[in-house]
Amino acid sequence: MESVRLLLVDDENDFRRTVAKRLMKRGIDAQQAASGEECLDILKNEPVDVVVLDVKMPGMDGIETLHHIKKKYPEIEVIMLTGHATTQDGVDGIKTGAFDYLSKPIELEHLLSKVRQAHEKRIRSTEKQKEADFRAKMEQQMIATERLAALGTLAAGVAHEINNPLAIIKESAGWMKSILTKDELAGMPRKADFEMALGKIEKGVERARRITHQLLGSVKQTDSNLSEVDLKNLLEETVALIQKEADNKGVEIVQEIDSSIGVLWTDPYKLRQVLINIITNAVHATGPGGRITVTSEPVDNRVALTIRDTGQGIPREHLKKIFEPFFSTKPPGEGTGLGLFVTRSIIDKLGGEIDVESQLGVGTRFLIKLPAYPDTECDLGKNDL
Amino acid sequence: MIRIPTKVLLVDDEEDFVEMLSLRLQEAGEKVSAAYSGKGCLDVLEKNNIDVVVLDIKMPGMDGMETLVEIRKRFPLVEVIMLTGHGSTETAVEGMRLGAFDYLMKPADFDDLTTKLQGARKRKDEQEERIRLAEAKLLMRKSGGAF
Repeated sequence: MESVRLLLVDDENDFRRTVAKRLMKRGIDAQQAASGEECLDILKNEPVDVVVLDVKMPGMDGIETLHHIKKKYPEIEVIMLTGHATTQDGVDGIKTGAFDYLSKPIELEHLLSKVRQAHEKRIRSTEKQKEADFRAKMEQQMIATERLAALGTLAAGVAHEINNPLAIIKESAGWMKSILTKDELAGMPRKADFEMALGKIEKGVERARRITHQLLGSVKQTDSNLSEVDLKNLLEETVALIQKEADNKGVEIVQEIDSSIGVLWTDPYKLRQVLINIITNAVHATGPGGRITVTSEPVDNRVALTIRDTGQGIPREHLKKIFEPFFSTKPPGEGTGLGLFVTRSIIDKLGGEIDVESQLGVGTRFLIKLPAYPDTECDLGKNDL
Repeated sequence: MIRIPTKVLLVDDEEDFVEMLSLRLQEAGEKVSAAYSGKGCLDVLEKNNIDVVVLDIKMPGMDGMETLVEIRKRFPLVEVIMLTGHGSTETAVEGMRLGAFDYLMKPADFDDLTTKLQGARKRKDEQEERIRLAEAKLLMRKSGGAF
């Protein structure tokens, strides 16, 4: 109750000050305004929960002030103060959205209980609003997840169907190429043109094949093999795989592993795929002389893995999209746009979280949180049945 | 160098694929037969001498895995390379546990295919060689026992 932010609005200075003083004795530090205009000025700058508002005021009267308050700050509760025999004003006030009204002269206890009720209503509606916001956000997330799942299924179907005609194109081009190498065709006119075009066909098929295989890989992750994983070892192994590419580019990879991490239960192959994806991306984004730092530390009963680079950074408008399938900023043919999409679906399946922060020109930081022991007991139980 | 062609049987319900890969393998010097179903595959094996079967996993009717089991049962010396169209390595690995020599993902790299064909052919030749030697030994012992 003491936390209520109250504003008293009355043009009768003595009355207003007296009420304020008595409220202060009861622990409520009310603000004061001597007119409707002043009231609105205060509301502009300061948060207020409840306004106690006199109806009869020169200039902007109480009802008009109430109109303005409800229009601009619908969440504020207003208690009207009416003259002795003028309940009509109070009724008008309630119709306009006031919480209630009190007739002057007022009893402090009455005022206090009304203020308390109004304040409680205010708190309830704030909570309700928060809950509604939360629910809306969850719904949005679920829609996004479902959409991605549906997209994944569709993509896998498409990928599968495309592989077959791709194989036909590939074998046809390959066959023609092998015919061109025969002695009988040694003197064929414009042979080089044919070879060039066949080469393009093969390259195109290879590109499409990479996409379909990655797509199928992103969906086909039903069974994971959980085992005890020594994160330090896994990280060292993974970095060793990428070291050469990093060396060629003049990028340094630094590992800072908290030795208290020990082991965690997870899928080593999938976790390695995740690390390879992110660290390789970091190498691509970082110029010569740059540095990639991989850190890991225990947080609560989880493990936090951070991959930080000093690369070019990701523009704000791209940050939201980087985990979406087919989002890529690499030139056509170089990236499939599926790396981070796959990465996130793996992390989801391992029961973890992945987050990214980036600043243009400074670098990017991927943060992965993994459970040390994934909650699989119920799943295992089901499998046993 | 004279190369003895490998007798390959391609099995896939995608007829165009079978046709083009046959032509390409023939161009590379192999002897190729074709079948478009699991049943067709077994029929060909019944009538012809085949070294290696290249077998698609996903086919209507009798699928690749069923066909593989049947091949292992009836023609245990014939080598099988599984072809998977859906990138599911699990099925292919399962096939290898059942005795397939190796697997390839569609669309397969031609060099990979030829390397694996040679490997399969070699395994078959070696196995046949061992059997021949064993038979010869057996014959010797038998005849040794007879005289």
